[in-house]
Amino acid sequence: MKNSNRFPPKPDFSITILSQTQLLKMVVELTRHIATLFQFPLAEAQKISLAIDEAVTNVIKHSYANKDDRPLTIEYYVAPDGILIRILYRGLPPEISDEEVNLGRMIKKKRKGGLGVKLMKTIMDSVTYQTVDGENRCDMIKWRKAK
Amino acid sequence: MKSFQIRSKMVGGVAVLYLKGHLDAHQVARFEKELVRMIKDSNFNILINGQDLNYITSAGMGIIMGYIDEVREKGGDIKLCSLSERVHETFDLVGFTEIYDFVQNEQAAIEKFKPLPPKA
Repeated sequence: MKNSNRFPPKPDFSITILSQTQLLKMVVELTRHIATLFQFPLAEAQKISLAIDEAVTNVIKHSYANKDDRPLTIEYYVAPDGILIRILYRGLPPEISDEEVNLGRMIKKKRKGGLGVKLMKTIMDSVTYQTVDGENRCDMIKWRKAK
Repeated sequence: MKSFQIRSKMVGGVAVLYLKGHLDAHQVARFEKELVRMIKDSNFNILINGQDLNYITSAGMGIIMGYIDEVREKGGDIKLCSLSERVHETFDLVGFTEIYDFVQNEQAAIEKFKPLPPKA
């Protein structure tokens, strides 16, 4: 079983942005660029950047309740066999359900949200949340496919 | 230039929404506004043409999910057509391709809609 100890102690790259949805596209392009720079195939890099878009959107919408002046930091750690992307933020801790997404039920309830975490978990090999001393952390790992 | 554009027109009794560009949480309100306008105008046969859509997140897919039940209750449907492989794959990742009708092109999609029931 692979674990996050494989990654360097300090990020290879990090960026701190304000909690503004207009910055999402920049985050997506940056993540895709970093993933391809570190030899992830383009299709894989595009999916990783979508997962990060979903995670950052969740932070802005739920943890920061759409307030657009709160900071969040995205850190990128690269190892020979994978990438760890960590989002650090304050605000409300995430409420992540382990319950399997049931599209039929969500449609009946006319729900518009709830698909983002499903996308993140489907794309990434590992998605974990934790809160320590008021700081929330979302860790997402994607391992490289063996050649 | 805006990163997301939306326009609509009626084609053979079907309200067609043309999405172009990058649809994320920042842009999604415009998509929802247009979809709601169509439903309020009693257009329950709705086709989303994504030929020029190059990116979608759960925010956009959630809008489709949030209104599909209302539209189907009225005898209509929301179908999708002409998606790129990448966008189609995003829908597939959340299981939409098992619940929604994805059609190759606009003409074929329009032909699949049933006429709406007469208004009471």
